[in-house]
Order: sequence, then C-alpha cells, then structure tokens
Amino acid sequence: MSTPICLRCLRRSLFPPISSRAAKLAATRAAFSTTPSRSANPPKKQSTTAKRDTSKTKSLRLSKNKRVVTGRPPAPGERKALRKRVVLSNSNALEVAGLEDFTAENVRRATLLRQLEGRVVGFGDATVNVLRALEGFKPTQGWGLFRRPASLVRAETVELGEMMQTLKGEKSMLSLLLAGERGSGKSVLQLQAMAVAYLQGWIIVHIPEAKDITIGHTAFQPVKTTDGQTIYIQPQYTAELLDKIAQANRGILSDLRLSRQHQLPIPIQSNISLARLVELGANDPQLAWPIWQALWAELTAPSQPDKQGLHRPPVLVSADGVDHIMRNSAYIDVETKPIHSHELAIVRDFTALLAGKTALPNGGMVLAAISKSTAANSPTFAAAHGHPRQFARASRDRRPKLPEWNPYDSLDQRVAEVMENVEVKNVDGLSKQEARSVMEYYARSGMMRGTITEGLVSEKWTLAGGGLVGELEKGAVRARF
Amino acid sequence: MVFIFGVNFSEQQLVAKALQSFYGIGPHVCKGIMAKYFIHNTAKVGALQGRQLDDLGAELSTMTIENDLRRQVVDNIKRLRDMGTYRGRRHAMSLPVRGQNTRSTQILTARKLNRIERRG
Repeated sequence: MSTPICLRCLRRSLFPPISSRAAKLAATRAAFSTTPSRSANPPKKQSTTAKRDTSKTKSLRLSKNKRVVTGRPPAPGERKALRKRVVLSNSNALEVAGLEDFTAENVRRATLLRQLEGRVVGFGDATVNVLRALEGFKPTQGWGLFRRPASLVRAETVELGEMMQTLKGEKSMLSLLLAGERGSGKSVLQLQAMAVAYLQGWIIVHIPEAKDITIGHTAFQPVKTTDGQTIYIQPQYTAELLDKIAQANRGILSDLRLSRQHQLPIPIQSNISLARLVELGANDPQLAWPIWQALWAELTAPSQPDKQGLHRPPVLVSADGVDHIMRNSAYIDVETKPIHSHELAIVRDFTALLAGKTALPNGGMVLAAISKSTAANSPTFAAAHGHPRQFARASRDRRPKLPEWNPYDSLDQRVAEVMENVEVKNVDGLSKQEARSVMEYYARSGMMRGTITEGLVSEKWTLAGGGLVGELEKGAVRARF
Repeated sequence: MVFIFGVNFSEQQLVAKALQSFYGIGPHVCKGIMAKYFIHNTAKVGALQGRQLDDLGAELSTMTIENDLRRQVVDNIKRLRDMGTYRGRRHAMSLPVRGQNTRSTQILTARKLNRIERRG
C-alpha cells in the first residue's frame, strides 16, 4: 500500500537544500554593498562573428564572369548576317603560281577536263560571282583560308563534267543524289557542277539549303492545283529563289524571251525577256509563284534554235541537304496535322524533277546532295540512299524487306516513290594522290608548313578518316597546336 | 503598330507572342488559331496581311477570352460558394481547393489568387 506522501519528498521537506541556503547568504551580503550589481549596466556581448556585408559577396572572380557592356546591342539580322558571311579571300595567304582556272574551253572538251584531274583548279571571277549569287559557297567551308577560291578536280568532278557534256549533246536528263560522309565534299562537288554548268552555258537553279524551306520560317499559303490537290506555296521564299536565279543566270536569261502566253495576275509584254520576267517575280512575292510556274513552263518548252530568243539551254537543278525535304515539314495544316514536305509547292516541283516525273526536254541534270552535318531523321530516305537497289525492289512490292529496316519505322510512301529511280552516287574520301595534290596546294598557299612527304600525306590521309577532304583540311590547315 | 482585337502590338512582335498575351490563349489554342489562318511559327505581327488580321480579329471575337473568360471563372466559383460547397469555401478562404498540403510553400498561388472575389 502506498503512502499518501512520497517518503523521499518528506525527507527533503525536513532538511532545506544547500543551494537555497547559499542564496540566502548572498542576499544578506548584498545588503552591505553600496553599488548593487543589478544596477550596473549589463556587460556588452562581444560580437564573435562579423556582420556579413551583403553588398560585397565573395565569389570567384574570373574574367569570363564579367559581363562586358558594349556600345549597342546588335541590330535585327546583324548576327545572322555575320553567321552567314562568306569570306572568299585571305590576303595573308600566298598567291599560288600557275593556278589554272575552270574556263569555258576546258570544261567543254572532255580531254582538257581530264587533264585537270587530280589538280587544284581555281574559279574565275565571273564564275565566283555566279556561284556567290547562287549561295553555292558556304560559310563552313574553308574558302577564307586561301588567296582565292579553288578546288580539287577529283575523279567524280571529271565524271560529272563528262556526264553533263553528254546530257547536253543528247538532250537527256539525269537525276543524281550525292551521298557520303560528313566532310567528304558533296557540297563542293555540287559547286563544281554548277561552275561547269555555268561555263557550258546552262541555266542553274540551286536551292542552297533545303532545310530553309521546311522549318516553317517563311510565310505559306494554300493553293488548289488543277488536279484538286492542296499544295502550299511560299511567296517570300519563292521570290528569294527567283532573285538568285535572276542574278546568276542574267546573261543567258536576257537572251531568251517568252514563247507563249501565261496566265499571270498582271499584264506583261508578250515578248518580254525571261530575265525581266524572273525579276518581276523576285520583286513582288505575290507574283512569285505564278512567275515561277511560268518560268518552268518556259524552261521545259521544246527548244526552237532557228527562232531568235526561243532556243532553250539545258538546266541544272540542284539542292543541298535534301534529307530535310524527305520528311514532314514544320508547317501545320488547318487540322493542326503536320504538312509533308512534298506538299510544299517548291519541294513538289523539285521532287517531280528528281523522280523524273517532270522531264527536261532540252537536257539537264538534277543534282541533290544529302547533308551529314545537319542530317534530318528520315528513315525511308536513309534506307533509299544507303541501299538504293534493294530499296527500289522492296518499295515496289510495298513491303520493305531490308535487313537494316527498323520494323517500328513506317515507310514514307511519297519519299519511296521519289527515290525509286534516283541514281545514288557515293562520294568517298580522296585517293592518296589527290590528298597529296591538295596538301601541296596548302603548302604553296603558305597555309601549311614543312615539306609534303609521302609519310606526312599518309599520316594526314589516315587521320582524315581515309581522305575525307573536309577532315584533311581541318587536320592540315585549320589545326593550331 | 498593328491592332489585333483592340490591342496595339509592335510590328516586330511575334504573332504567337501577341496572341498568347490574351487571357485564355495559351500555346495550344494559339497553335490552332495560327494553323487555321496559315501563319507560320516565326511570323511577325508586321508581316501579316490585312485579310489575315481581319480574320484573326473575327476569330478572337468569337472566343471567350479576356474579361469574358475572367467573369466566367468568377461566376463558376461564385456558384460553388453560394451552394456552400467545400470547394467554394476553400476559394473564399485563400486556401488550396484540391486537397494540397497547406504546410509547405506549394500553395502560394492559391494564397495569392483565391479570394472572395478571385484575383486574376
């Protein structure tokens, strides 16, 4: 049984604790003090930590962390202009003595062209102006490293040149797709083809970047075709393209005149020159599309050499980075479904030429090049140019049975149809002989030091992935150690 | 300067940005409107043709946006409150309506917007 009061507590209550006794003692002592401790000011606490100054934060000071205040922000379009600037000359590079040019004579005669094989050949001033107008030179290519634009005439160049001579003579057409590794020289081969075409008196239509058509950065509007399909025209882009065509082909187009009446929104003279017609379209985006159609009707009209202004020269149609037009574009239709690139009017016309649906009765070549640095994902197209022959067979019975075909990828029927008859030309690396020729050109331009020996050529050729010319340039000229 | 639905926009402004400045038009609705009138992604207000501007204005006037939409939202909340529902009370009390925790900082929007007359 428990007691009502705890025994231990009872004991404590009998004897007062020592601490309370001491407190009592202190109180009695304080009575004698004249300055009681309580009335004194309390001692100041010593501040052990300094107050943090928020305005001066300690941080790592690096020069790159400083924001440099420049005078003014770049104007609209200024940065893009800088990015797209093409420099074609380097005044510090040496003039290469005895550098031959592509001339009208040596591209028209097969024997002379073949003699140039394996040598670096320059572009004449007139050719450079044409290629510049066509935007054939690209800012990523190393034109700005040398005194003046020049390129290696490789076996493929000669082959293309001879092909073009034949096509012109026979008035036949050919569709060719240039495929190959990044930096293998597809775009430069295309550029050479354009130079050859210009010097042979062809009309050149070049789409410098197919990507620009499909990324949805220019205005578009739907039109109905005669067969009831809806296609989408791009007035601004068409006008720009017409402007390039007018600038590059002014010499030839001003000699040609209209052969028949066209349905245009504005009245024009019946015997207007084609150069003037194209300029009209280039100046007014609203007229650009009908004039583009009229231009193609004229270019594909049969040539009448006996009548003045009605002869029709062969046409070179080229486009770079075509993998971007072999898939859905970034545009969307009324139902917010993506528009396939082939529904865009310019692409439609180009692919009709590439597939051979539109004929070029006066001879011509359609030269497309893929892009590996901005490669777009297009499985059907990739299979088509990777394995052209098997692909043609597989797409004919509409069941792609390639070992490489990913079963989860759907076959793009439009692309498959276009690619069925396109010849694919693989652009590989240079031969060691060609690599040596290019490196000698680098050395003679003063852009590469040392003597060009067999061993050095071999080393650079190997490091460039088996003579990929872009990599060769990177390793030999651009690299700074 | 270009007027769209009674608002003045600079010619340099993107159409998508201009459309999304209206209460009730976000990226999705904007995409639909732009697709309907064939306006590309990077179109600037200044580049629109007169007809496209008229079409846009007509389209916007048929939609419930801006003050109409704000009023609709307030009315919906008012209905809840008048019925004396839990959701209506939570709206009026500046507290989250859909069961969120209230002890963390995840209810700042509710604190800010939920009032007897909802803000924004």
